Amino acid sequence: MSKHISSLAPSVVVDTAAAHVAVTPMTGRISLRARGDLAAIGKAIGVSLPTQIGICAKTDGIEVVCLGPDEWTLLVPLDQIEKVQGALATLAPSLPHSMTEITGREITFQIEGPHAADLMSIGCPRDISTIKVGQARRTLFDGATVVLWRDAETSFRMDVWNSFAPFLASTLETGAKELAAELA
Amino acid sequence: MSKHRLRGRGRVDASQPVVFTFDGKPYTGLKGDTVASALLAHGVHLMGRSFKYHRPRGAIAAGSEEPNALIGTRRGPGRFEPNTRATVQEIWDGLETNSQNKFPSLKWDVGAVNDAAYMLFSAGFYYKTFMWPRSFWDKVYEPFIRAAAGLGVSPSEEDPDTYASRYLYCDLLIVGAGPAGIAAAREAAGKGLSVVLVDENSEMGGTLLSEPQSKIDGKSAWTWLEDELAALKEAGVKLMTRTTAIGYYHENMIGMVEKLTDHLPTLPADTPRERMWRVRAKQVVLAQGALEKPLVFHGNDRPGVMLAGSAQTYLHRYGVKVGESPVVVTSHDSAWYAAFDLQAAGAYVQAIVDTRPQVRQDLQAEARTRGIPVKLGHTVTATGGRLRINTVRVNPLNGTHVGNGQWIKCDALLMSGGWTPSLHLFSHTKGSLIWDDDLTTFLPKDTPEDCIITGASRGLWGVEAALKDGSVRVGEALSKLGVEATVSDYTVADDRVGTGVTMRELPTDRSAGKAKAFVDFQNDVTAKDLRLAVREGMRSIEHVKRYTTNGMATDQGKMSNINGLNIAADALGKKQPQVGLTTFRPPYTPTTFGAFAGYHRGDHFEVVRKTQIDGWAEENAAVFEPVGQWRRARYFPKAGETMDQAVARECAATRASVGIFDASTLGKIEVVGPDAAEFVNRMYTNPFMKLAPGKCRYGLLLGDDGYIRDDGVIARISDERFHVTTTTGGAARVLTMMEDYLQTEWPDLNVWLTSTTEQWSTVAVNGPNAAKLLQPFVKDFALTEDNFPHMSCVEVEVAGYPARLWRVSFTGEIGFEINVPAPYGRALWETLWDAGQAYDITAYGTETMHVLRAEKGYIIVGQDTDGTVTPYDAGMGWAVGTKKADFVGMRGLKRPDLVAKNRKQLVGLVTEDQSCLEEGAQIVLDPNQPIPMKMVGHVTSSYHQGTTDHPIALALVEGGHSKMGETVYIPMPDRTIAAKVTGTVFVDPENARLKI
Amino acid sequence: MIQIHCPYCGETLPELEFAYAGEAHIVRPESPSEQTDEEWAAFLFLRDNVKGPHFERWRHAHGCGRFFNAVRNTITDRFYITYKAGEPRPDLAKLLEESK
Repeated sequence: MSKHISSLAPSVVVDTAAAHVAVTPMTGRISLRARGDLAAIGKAIGVSLPTQIGICAKTDGIEVVCLGPDEWTLLVPLDQIEKVQGALATLAPSLPHSMTEITGREITFQIEGPHAADLMSIGCPRDISTIKVGQARRTLFDGATVVLWRDAETSFRMDVWNSFAPFLASTLETGAKELAAELA
Repeated sequence: MSKHRLRGRGRVDASQPVVFTFDGKPYTGLKGDTVASALLAHGVHLMGRSFKYHRPRGAIAAGSEEPNALIGTRRGPGRFEPNTRATVQEIWDGLETNSQNKFPSLKWDVGAVNDAAYMLFSAGFYYKTFMWPRSFWDKVYEPFIRAAAGLGVSPSEEDPDTYASRYLYCDLLIVGAGPAGIAAAREAAGKGLSVVLVDENSEMGGTLLSEPQSKIDGKSAWTWLEDELAALKEAGVKLMTRTTAIGYYHENMIGMVEKLTDHLPTLPADTPRERMWRVRAKQVVLAQGALEKPLVFHGNDRPGVMLAGSAQTYLHRYGVKVGESPVVVTSHDSAWYAAFDLQAAGAYVQAIVDTRPQVRQDLQAEARTRGIPVKLGHTVTATGGRLRINTVRVNPLNGTHVGNGQWIKCDALLMSGGWTPSLHLFSHTKGSLIWDDDLTTFLPKDTPEDCIITGASRGLWGVEAALKDGSVRVGEALSKLGVEATVSDYTVADDRVGTGVTMRELPTDRSAGKAKAFVDFQNDVTAKDLRLAVREGMRSIEHVKRYTTNGMATDQGKMSNINGLNIAADALGKKQPQVGLTTFRPPYTPTTFGAFAGYHRGDHFEVVRKTQIDGWAEENAAVFEPVGQWRRARYFPKAGETMDQAVARECAATRASVGIFDASTLGKIEVVGPDAAEFVNRMYTNPFMKLAPGKCRYGLLLGDDGYIRDDGVIARISDERFHVTTTTGGAARVLTMMEDYLQTEWPDLNVWLTSTTEQWSTVAVNGPNAAKLLQPFVKDFALTEDNFPHMSCVEVEVAGYPARLWRVSFTGEIGFEINVPAPYGRALWETLWDAGQAYDITAYGTETMHVLRAEKGYIIVGQDTDGTVTPYDAGMGWAVGTKKADFVGMRGLKRPDLVAKNRKQLVGLVTEDQSCLEEGAQIVLDPNQPIPMKMVGHVTSSYHQGTTDHPIALALVEGGHSKMGETVYIPMPDRTIAAKVTGTVFVDPENARLKI
Repeated sequence: MIQIHCPYCGETLPELEFAYAGEAHIVRPESPSEQTDEEWAAFLFLRDNVKGPHFERWRHAHGCGRFFNAVRNTITDRFYITYKAGEPRPDLAKLLEESK
């Protein structure tokens, strides 16, 4: 568990027949908080804001997930962060909201493979099958708060605050090896 | 082939011999054997010594309910486990096993003197024997009890195995894969449901494994079983063997422990020893079967005395005759079949002794046909033989009169007192039980959970009844799951159904006071103990249990509870339901700590958070300490340095030139929105409405009770954006508290909170040369006193990274905190480190940080405060905005107790003899007062590694602020230390050093 | 481990994601400075210790982050209902009737 993990140095955490886990390259992230005319905000940033918690939307490289009744996380290409910030800033006087960059806050693990869902079940107390493809949830994994995105039946992304990443990488590595041993 | 093994019988593999050792002696068994079945095949009944009396004991059962045959198992260095049931442990080549509770040997044990002195060890003997004299407790009694107590020996080495855990959600969980469970699974399979069938044994089948004679729908039991399990697997049912449902928790959560490697000769890579499954099932079917009751008579614990049903299991499942000339004693029909089957297998059954005067004619006829002598209306009053039974005393019963005894030679005594439904998991659901007078047992009634119980667990005997019941009862669960309930019909030939009566102790002609008729074998509780407990005033079964320890052993009373209840009820002259049943508690069988810990052991014991700069600290030999979940560099020793030396060097270097510190763990909260200033102003004591963008202010956070909760520097980035910092340990708590006020008290405020603790890496540089070091890296911004005074902040580029640069100090030196997006933290640190070599830059850790701040009298919340300290107590009244309309804690500060005189107040202490006080040491005003002394406070912080020429301390002292210059005393075990009360600032009270 | 329905997420989820947050419907007085010592002490410290249905707060700490209210039976640990912060206290008699 002495690993150090940085989004500046994407790396493979573990690769087994059951699951492949890797740290993804840094991407832009914005925490958006707002209430009121969400349509106007969606228009400004170029992607409409889903209003049901756990639902995602995606347009032109911007991905958004609704995490709370007034909370969204935007994934934005690094070179477009300023553009999105600028667009939101123009709304400020008429439409109160909060926009905070959290690019540096998080590390994303990509988890793929035939037993990716089983790997999630070693640390996440939720019923993984209730997270449908194309959705995401904030939940727990091995004691840390994470946002779990389901991109396919066998493909997940897990966003976690960077300080937790070494610990969770260790869990994922142990689990992926354990699941692979079951296949053998 | 070992002596008592029957060729071609059982489910063991005769082509695969397995060699293991028991007490150092090698034995050959067969693949599929347990340690118990393999030993019994060699005629070894003696497997252990009992807990209290050290009486010789053998296996009484064949499954997880076994109370006697507890062994230690070893697999090479480090892998030792005590108290494993020999009846469950599967053998493999090289397995080492040992008997327990014996010295020097199993056959000759000095502890057995307890048996001779049994009068001393009756119920409650601990309470009676060790009462007097009182002075004996520490030196004599307690060491004796500790040495004598406990089963087996604890492992002394760290467990090298790994353990795992997993969550599982399913529609239907079926616990127990006997006929009822399998029949339930059949109805549920193939209907689009996720179905899990779980069994604690190495193979499924339950009672079918011990009753191969029955024919189900024309197939032999074992063929039917094989076909049925294959069909279930084909239909997608998840079949889990060696998996014990240990507990039934709220809302259909079942804890299950899967044993993965204990049966394997070699350990596969990456495979945990056990896995804890946390299962959430929409519906649960409990089909755990029933457990056979022992009979209670003098000498019923002698090796060779065994449950009749277990003898059947050894015979049919393992091909082992437990005796060549057994006697059967029973009050239930089922044991007759054990006699028939053993006779058929070549044993000579010496007698069937049945306590009942009348027994079914067909059974009697069959006994006659087989040439087995039958003694109806008889009782057993004693057994003989030292390490194995060799004789049994049988007496005729005439009503309550016990006639003259006759000794019958035998090498095994097979007993059956009838069957008790296994209601453990059902009881975990807080399910209610109902007493059944006919069966003399409790049966399941109602449960608040979505749970169905079926088969022998609800008092049904026989394979056909169990199959039909499983098939029908699962229908309710299926309907609730929205699928069609179907029912299969079953016809079973050669089914063995029977009835019986329930006995208390068997009637005897001997003195009841001398009888050793065991009820709880593992805890050595006799019928006499239970009656004594009642005589001595125990009325509730819960009290009887605790006084006698009946049912409190690792088998959780699986065999003893009902017999204990019957005897206690008899002694009380009450019906059983009026006496009650003790509560079954999880786990169903003993469970390793490893299974509960799962992955969380060693360096994965708990969440460890690391900053992005942690790697540098690790490479530079930092010594770490945990702070909350974080691991932080405590100090950076050079070769040969002690902690004190390292800290003293770090302190001096920082005050002399420049020190660098990783402050990334400080909590950070971004407060954004039109009402941001209003919100911060309401939360913190200090006034914030007029703080200009680009300025920082120290903030104190109170609870509404007026006590200090947290503190930190708050920067106003822009009109509507604040960057709030919290203590490292307080980050999550403060954010929760803020969200609470915002969401529930002030939802009208247009402001939002975002945790940015980890958005930023924070590098602090402090010291007279801090500005000189930093200036070259700051783009287009002058770090001068005029342009960037103390308590300023600016968004600026530092070393090419976008940064929030703060001029703040927690050391009393010129100080900067540079916040850059977290991933750049280490690069920034290294850039400053390299450039800092020109200034002899020194990396310092949390310990030096603590010393430097204490020299300036800066508090650490949670160290110098303890949840009962107000800003005024801490000498920080200056931080309270008394003109504000309200802030959290403002009203609290006016509470009578908080404005009372003589509160404990934070002061400095300087010892007269230059000694360093101990943190936490108590303070008195008069060292010569009688004990107990009046304590007026305690030392909160104390250091001697700093830059002052004497050790310093902070302390909370009653009325401390008005005691300046007075002497207080700190009594220590070896001496009393005198200390002068001072202010809390020990270095640079004018703050001259803060100026660039 | 019980399961809790989050009224904001619309899902019934494992207790591990939630944090208990004390008795519900205790409102911080509008003007604390006008409170008597007794009133303020009552607000700070006096709580019911109910055996049976209890109005209490929970937070979906590892989910949407919202505080919400609930009625839970402290004997059986069963929730009768959870509802959003700010919504009125539900009629207990009706709840108990419905749960039968």
